[in-house]
Amino acid sequence: MKTEGCRERRESLGAYALGQLPADERAGLEAHLEGCPDCRAELMELEPVARVMPLADPERIGAASAPPPDLGDRIAARIAGERRGRRRRRRLRLGLALSGATAAAAAAALAIFVLAGGPSAGPEQRVSFSSLPPGVEIAATLEPRTYGTEVHMYVEGIRSGTLCRVVLRGPHGVRLPAGTFRYRYGAEEAVLSAALDLSQTRSVVVHVGRRAFVAPVESQPSA
Amino acid sequence: MPPGTLTRERDVREAYAAHAGELYGFALRSLGDAGLAEEAVQETFLRAWRAGERFDPELGSLRTWLFAILRNVAIDLSRARAARPGLAEGGTEPSVEPLEEALLAWQVEEAMRRIGEQHRRVLVETYYRGRPYAEVAAELGVPEGTVKSRVYYGLRALKVALEEIGYED
Repeated sequence: MKTEGCRERRESLGAYALGQLPADERAGLEAHLEGCPDCRAELMELEPVARVMPLADPERIGAASAPPPDLGDRIAARIAGERRGRRRRRRLRLGLALSGATAAAAAAALAIFVLAGGPSAGPEQRVSFSSLPPGVEIAATLEPRTYGTEVHMYVEGIRSGTLCRVVLRGPHGVRLPAGTFRYRYGAEEAVLSAALDLSQTRSVVVHVGRRAFVAPVESQPSA
Repeated sequence: MPPGTLTRERDVREAYAAHAGELYGFALRSLGDAGLAEEAVQETFLRAWRAGERFDPELGSLRTWLFAILRNVAIDLSRARAARPGLAEGGTEPSVEPLEEALLAWQVEEAMRRIGEQHRRVLVETYYRGRPYAEVAAELGVPEGTVKSRVYYGLRALKVALEEIGYED
């Protein structure tokens, strides 16, 4: 049965749970708790809250923080970009799968793509990197430009923030830098360029952190 | 929201509008750096969108799911930062609490922000600042008994707020 006294006691339970009750009041309340299961149950409700209170930093309570106002737009832009990147990569994987097939099968498939106006129709060259660690995906497409070659890099599975450096190798030990980029989680392709004609490009080297991966470039059929 | 519907850009926008504030608050609290917190929130929504087909509201709320993703992202970012030698040597690295503790601390701070001003005031003054009830009562112009009852109802309100933001004891 709840009495008026019980209600008054109950309002002391907060102070009691937080260890703020003076000794004399504490003794009285503890005597009451002995014989009052309702108040004991109420105390058990408050104790877990009292236990985590010391974790909070009172200086931070007043400072509600808000994300920058344009973050939502930037995320939406990244998602839209990644959706485009996915389509590109799907085409790229198709190309990579092709390069692994037997010559005859590849030729047959190529014929189909050309007939269908598929991904092999453009002048771009896909290259694949071998000896990649498990979970890491690196691929590139090279596009001929009047100033040289445009390099589209696709990277997945490496640590966000890793510095990547791309170099194109030509004949007779020619090496021309295509530039650097920093991989970010979920980033879409990085577009770089080098002053080396695609027809002269023999291989693409990408330095990822301290490791380097090489992809050979097949000689252009028509160039 | 039926299962697997975090796949459209519009869904992500809605999820962002509803939860980005809290996610950012926690990311900032646990990573201690505004730039990293931004990166963490961005990565959380990207991962959520990529895995959108796997989200099933029958199994748990969107909010819980996003916080679980953010937790993993924060761990990854902390590791990446620890591995970046320049920052550690420069001594500019903000101190990082263990993530679970940071989550709890943030939950308590967030819950404190959500309770009424009167309740928050007495809890901050008497508990965090350790001031005597009589002094706080005089400052607020109320009897001491009122301070005591506000501490009690404040604690109750804090419990409800903690439950709302997903704290489980």
